[in-house]
Formats: sequence, structure tokens, C-alpha cells
Amino acid sequence: MTGRWRAAGLAAAIVAGVGSIAMLAAGANPIDGFAQLFGGALGDVDELAETLVQTTALLFPALGVAIAFRAGLFNIGAEGQLVMGGLAAGSIGAVLTLPGYVSIPLLLMAGALAGGGWGAFAGFLRARFAANEVITTLMLNVVATLFASYLVGGPLKSPAATASETAILPHASWLPELVRDTRLTLALPIALLVALGLRYLLDRTVFGYELRAVGEAPEAARRAGIAPGRIAIAALGLSGAIAGMGGATIVLGILHRFNVALSPGYGFIAIAVALVGNCDPIAIVAAAFAFGILQNGALAMQAGAGVPRDIVAVVEGLVIFVLAGRQYLTRTVAR
Amino acid sequence: MSGELLALFTLTLVKATPLIYAALGGVVGERAGVVNIGLEGMLAGGAFTAVAVSYKTGSAPLAALAGVACGAALGFLLGVAATRWRVDQIVAGTGLNLLALGGAAYALVLVFGRPGASFAVPALGLRGEATLIALALVAALVIDRVLAVTSWGLHVRAAGENPRALDIAGIDPLRIRVQALVLGGALAGLGGVFLSIGELDLYSDGMTAGRGFIALAAVIFGRWTPLGATGAALFFGFFAALQFTLQQSGIPSELMQALPYLAALAALAGFAGRARAPAADGIPYARE
Repeated sequence: MTGRWRAAGLAAAIVAGVGSIAMLAAGANPIDGFAQLFGGALGDVDELAETLVQTTALLFPALGVAIAFRAGLFNIGAEGQLVMGGLAAGSIGAVLTLPGYVSIPLLLMAGALAGGGWGAFAGFLRARFAANEVITTLMLNVVATLFASYLVGGPLKSPAATASETAILPHASWLPELVRDTRLTLALPIALLVALGLRYLLDRTVFGYELRAVGEAPEAARRAGIAPGRIAIAALGLSGAIAGMGGATIVLGILHRFNVALSPGYGFIAIAVALVGNCDPIAIVAAAFAFGILQNGALAMQAGAGVPRDIVAVVEGLVIFVLAGRQYLTRTVAR
Repeated sequence: MSGELLALFTLTLVKATPLIYAALGGVVGERAGVVNIGLEGMLAGGAFTAVAVSYKTGSAPLAALAGVACGAALGFLLGVAATRWRVDQIVAGTGLNLLALGGAAYALVLVFGRPGASFAVPALGLRGEATLIALALVAALVIDRVLAVTSWGLHVRAAGENPRALDIAGIDPLRIRVQALVLGGALAGLGGVFLSIGELDLYSDGMTAGRGFIALAAVIFGRWTPLGATGAALFFGFFAALQFTLQQSGIPSELMQALPYLAALAALAGFAGRARAPAADGIPYARE
């Protein structure tokens, strides 16, 4: 059994085992519970579309987390980078009145730049001050949320909004729907393109080679003249940019405005997705779909079988816990 | 005026206490060489378990013990994963947070039959709250001494600075790391107990509100020492208390809330003098 399949198999076993126990504890029949879960996630076109919405939302930060892992870096900050990306897209988008084919790419870029800057800052702190990126990205998560919360609660708050959020974006800047009257938009194909792009980057470019070299054999890479600091900034910058673009797609495709609560922890769940996908961009697409089913199906399971949906977080946590020993993560972290 | 000052002082202690417990837990773990990202989950686990046990038994002291036990169990889980299973401790800590926070939310529905928040349960009361506040300060002194002068403390520091040497001396550094994480988890669990049945009398989802991460910041800002981390926790607690006083002053509350994190970032970047982590902190150790 190859490593990739073992990760997926372990994750599936956890979902089945822990899920069943949790359903029994809640007084539900596991077969019924899982039927509700899968039916609710895949039962008809609308449900499938919503599952793909969750898949997309997880896919961006998971790809970001994975690219950092491949460079031997722990980006625990995808959540904050996602928020920064969404904030940039939402605040600029609210005042931008341009045709969609101009404004949408512009706003996605703005999101990527903001998230990328936030990630690159952690890379800079590591390169310049040897500050452990795990701690810095973790701290920057909260700083990002507080910063966004300050802006949308005050300077950027829409006069019309009752909650802390920006004004609604002009219709032209909304991502086009793929399926009518669902929240599934062009964000999904964009995420898939990013996955393909990353695969190409890792396999076929000098930068991708250097990135993997630093991740897999840091000492050899250093001797070969690859500056680890430069790779740290670039890898965390790229990682943050992908997560930030994900935040922008949530704003442009789903909320149509920025709200501080735009992510229910996608940046953290993304770590589980990246691990199940073995940090391989294409495998992560499949992993994100599996987690999308869990995320979306949990609602139906709660409504239909009476099992609290929070069990999904338990399962995701366990998946991270069990898979965290896998190959890209066993390297020691130099401070 | 002096009444206001007294109120601010009291509120500082109340806000700092869970941070002190969690930060002490973090210090013990990191001095043994394990970065404990899971403090947030341990706080939540301790807080929820205390409320659930108090609800079922009606005994707040028993509930407090159960909360401590839950924290210790989570510490044990992280310790075993980080040492025996060779799971990456940092990623595992992130998983532990999801697990414990999600588990508490799930169990909340099972025990209380509704999501979001529990009912009010028998709490420790004012005297219990004051005892836990005093105990936090005592714990800081005790742990400082334990690390400095006891042989177990020496082993903990060796496990964090030079595990190989400890191993050669015939003491299993992995066992020491697990012990340190159990103690750290118990301390963080007690911090959770204070949050739920000390300061209040219920559990609600999200009530830990990132305190585990603030505690992590306090560990760094306090330069990995028990007294330093306690000082940092008091400092952060002071700003948390000040927020209530300064609500009308026009200073954005978000800036005050961000302060612990900014302070930790500055400390990590070396702006706050030389802050140095234990040499083997965060680095898995493999026995030969």
C-alpha cells in the first residue's frame, strides 16, 4: 500500500469508526446517520453543488498549507491569510465599479496579494530573525481577524449594514454561478487551476525544485547554494497568496461582501485536508472533496439523525492527530 | 478613584488567572522540549468537563478535579503522540484543538440537550475563585522552584536542552516529556476550570476565546520561564481588564486585544531582548 492510500485509508477508518461511536452515543443508528450524511451531501444537484462549495473553500487554504509543508514549513496561518485576502477583496470590491472581466481578476489578485503579504511577513520574520513560523503564523491569525474586525467595525463599515461588514459588492464583481441558484461559482475551476499550476510548479520549475530541496534535505540544499531564507519567504508568500485568493473567492462568490466571520475555520481544517492529500496538489483535490462531503453532510446528519454536527470537528482533529507523523512533517524545525 | 483602581486590580487578576495556568502549562511542556499548541483545546476540555461533572454530581470541587483530569488526559495524549508515535507535535497540537473544541461542542448537546451554552451549574463561588487566583500565583513560584532545584526539574530542562545527554545518563527523555505534558495539561485544565466554574457557572462554545494562544504568547514573552510567563500573563490580563474600563475612550478594543500577539511577535523577532527557546524545543527526539 503506498503512503498516499494509507493516509486516505486511515482517515476513512477514523471517519467510520469515530463517526459511528458518536452517532451511537447520540442515540442514532450509524447506518441511518451515514445515510443522512451522504444523502445530504450528494443526494441531488443542489446538495452536490453545496458540497463542492465547501470543497472549494477548503481547497484553496489546503493547497496553501501543502506548498508550505513541501518546503518544510508549517503554515498554521492559512486562516488569517484567508481573512486578509477576503478583507482586501471586500474593501476594494465595494468601491470598484468596473466590468466583471476586469474587476474579478483584479479583486482575486488583491486577495492573493494581501494573503501573500501576510504569509511572506511570517517568512521574513523567520528568515531575518529566525522566528519560528508556527508561532508567528498562529499569532498573525488573530492579528488579522482583529485588524479586519476593527476596519469593518469602524472605518470600512457599510452605513447600511447592521453587522460588522463592508458594503455589498456591485453585481458585476460577483463570481458567475456554475449551477443556477446555488452558491457554486467559478471559484471551483479557479481552485482546480491553482492545483494544476502547483503541480507544474513543484515538478517542472527550478523554484519548485528548490522548494522541495529545502523541504526534503535542508542541509544539502544549503550546500547547493539555495538560500533557505529566500525560499521561506517565497514559500510562505505563495502559501498565503493561495489562501488569500480563497478568501477573495468566498467574498466574490458567496457573501458578496466581506464579513469577519467568513471562515468557520477553513484554514485549520485545511491542515487535515493537506495531510490526507499527502501534500500532493492533485490528491488534495480528492481530499478536499471528501472533507466537503463531511462539512456539508454534517448538517443533514444533524437534522435527520439528531447527531450534533460538531462531531465533524472531532473527526477532523483526529485525522490531523493521526496523520501528523507523515513524511513531510517528520523533519526537525530549525529555529 | 481608589475604588476604580481596586476594581481594575481585581479584574486584572481574574482575567490573568486562566492565562497564568495555561502559560505555566506551556512553559513546563516547552522546557521539556514540546511546543504545546493544544493549550486552547486543554482549556476548553477542562472548562467543559468541569461544567458537565458539576451538572451531573452537583459538586463543584469534584468538578474542578475532573476538569484538571481532562486537561491531564489531553496532555498525555499529546505527549504520547509527540514522543512514542513520532507525530509532529505542532500539527498534532492543532489537531488537538479541533478535537477538544469540537468534542466539547458535541458533548454539550449530548449532556445539556442544546447547542451553544450549558445551563448554570453549581460553581466554586467567590471563595473558590479567590483560592484559584491565589493558587495560580503559588503555582508559578512552585514550578519555578521545581524546575530550578529538583532533580525532576533538571530532567525536564535536560529533555528540552539536550535530550541525548539525558538519555546517555540513563533517563528516558521521552518519558520526561510525557510527564511534563501531563502536568502542563493539568495546569491548563485548571485554567479551564477557573473560566467555567470559577469566574462563571457555565460553559459556552468559544468561551476560551483564544486564551490558549495568548498563553502561548505569554510563554514566549516571558522567555520560557515560569515567573516570566506569569508576569506576561498578568500584563496581558491587565490589558484585558483595561478594555472594560476604557470602552468609552475611543481606543479601538481590537488594538488592546491584539497586544499580546504583537508583543509575542516582537519578542520572537528579538525586539524584547534576547528571548531564547530551549535548544531542543519543538524537535522530536529519537532514541537509538
